[in-house]
Amino acid sequence: MNRNIINFDNSATTFPKPLEVRHAVSNAIREYGGNAGRGGHQLSQKTSSAVFSARENIADFFGAEPENVVFTLNCTHALNLAIQGIMSQGGHMIISELEHNSSARPAFELLRKNKIKLSVARVFPDDEKTVNSFRELIMPDTKAIVCTGASNVTGQILPFRQLAKLCNEKNICFIVDSAQTSGIIDIKISDGINILCTAGHKGLYGISGTGLLISDGKFPIYPIIQGGTGSASSSLKQPVFLPDSLESGTLNIPGIMSVSAGIDFIRKTGMQKIFSHETHLCDIFIDSLKNIPQIIIYRSPDAHYVPIISFNVKGINSEETARILSENGFCLRAGFHCSALAHNALGTDTGTVRFSPSVFNSEREVYAIANLIKNLEIYKK
Amino acid sequence: MMLCSADMPSYTFAMKAQKILKARGYLCEIKRNTSSAESGCGYYISVSGNCSEIKNILESYSVPFEKMRKESDDEQKYN
Repeated sequence: MNRNIINFDNSATTFPKPLEVRHAVSNAIREYGGNAGRGGHQLSQKTSSAVFSARENIADFFGAEPENVVFTLNCTHALNLAIQGIMSQGGHMIISELEHNSSARPAFELLRKNKIKLSVARVFPDDEKTVNSFRELIMPDTKAIVCTGASNVTGQILPFRQLAKLCNEKNICFIVDSAQTSGIIDIKISDGINILCTAGHKGLYGISGTGLLISDGKFPIYPIIQGGTGSASSSLKQPVFLPDSLESGTLNIPGIMSVSAGIDFIRKTGMQKIFSHETHLCDIFIDSLKNIPQIIIYRSPDAHYVPIISFNVKGINSEETARILSENGFCLRAGFHCSALAHNALGTDTGTVRFSPSVFNSEREVYAIANLIKNLEIYKK
Repeated sequence: MMLCSADMPSYTFAMKAQKILKARGYLCEIKRNTSSAESGCGYYISVSGNCSEIKNILESYSVPFEKMRKESDDEQKYN
């Protein structure tokens, strides 16, 4: 990595990647040259075996069964499979007001086509109020609740365990967008989640082009994509069992191996240690900037957060702030972060700048960016 | 030695079955079905054991399988 570049945009994708992830990708390219689940020759069987081991490793991490782990292209792909698959016969669905476009766009598209009814639940710093806002929207035909584990804009953790309990009581399918929580907080299918969707390339430290849909198997997901699965090949019908029903087409073997290696890295490092380190870096960032009146930090003292901070410098557009930081070697994402609903809820009509460290960032790097922000010329005008 | 074989719906389930059976002391191999792969994935498991025992174990773990049959040593030899 260029030593002059410091990445604080790890919510988008973590970088750098752990050494073991780089090795796993390199090894996959060298060793796993067959097409998994297709053919009986040695290359295919070796690759299939490695994919199953990765599936088992990932299943164990999320408290699921290996056959219920579906490899996808990214979290958006997983959420589309889940939302469109569960809502294929219509019904009512509830999403939170902090959803990423990866949930909100497929939901609103189904609404525009009059295929579903849709409600958007308000989110509060108080978890009980948030759960009640979902509860009040439930209708007799509510089929699914989709909720992010944590906002990709502010980092606020949503009460997914309480919402899972509510959904289980009402036999509603609970779909969680875990893009910003996986690898950061211990989130599992056994928390009562029916379908967990996540990226492989963020907190799980895999490479880009990886995602996961993990099911508890309770709610059948109608496949929105059909094709070759390596199973029931002479039939023109898509298999009905997981993972094949949702895994048409050749798998991304280096990507799958990278996610499995990323999970090994998290286990070795310790998820609590990763969370504590990144939270500590966020605390330094906030403490360094909280007394500057021109800085707005979008956090509530009553809410819980993953290590993500949204902020703005008064009088500067978020994109301009990010440009200045980038010129000085700091990579942060500005604008709307693909979260129209969340920015609407926050009232941030020109977006925010997002600071999101990874396990590889240091205190020194945080002090450096905080000093730069403190000394922006705008304060002197 | 008694041999039992079962066609599997997918390689994932073949691997899962193999892992469960091996953990219980059964010798279990995953093989390519060279005769027909009409309904399954084209893979079957070949297990050293009694078919009814194997069936009970797989069912208790909700591992789906298709045709299950006794396999003779001779068939095994030429597979």
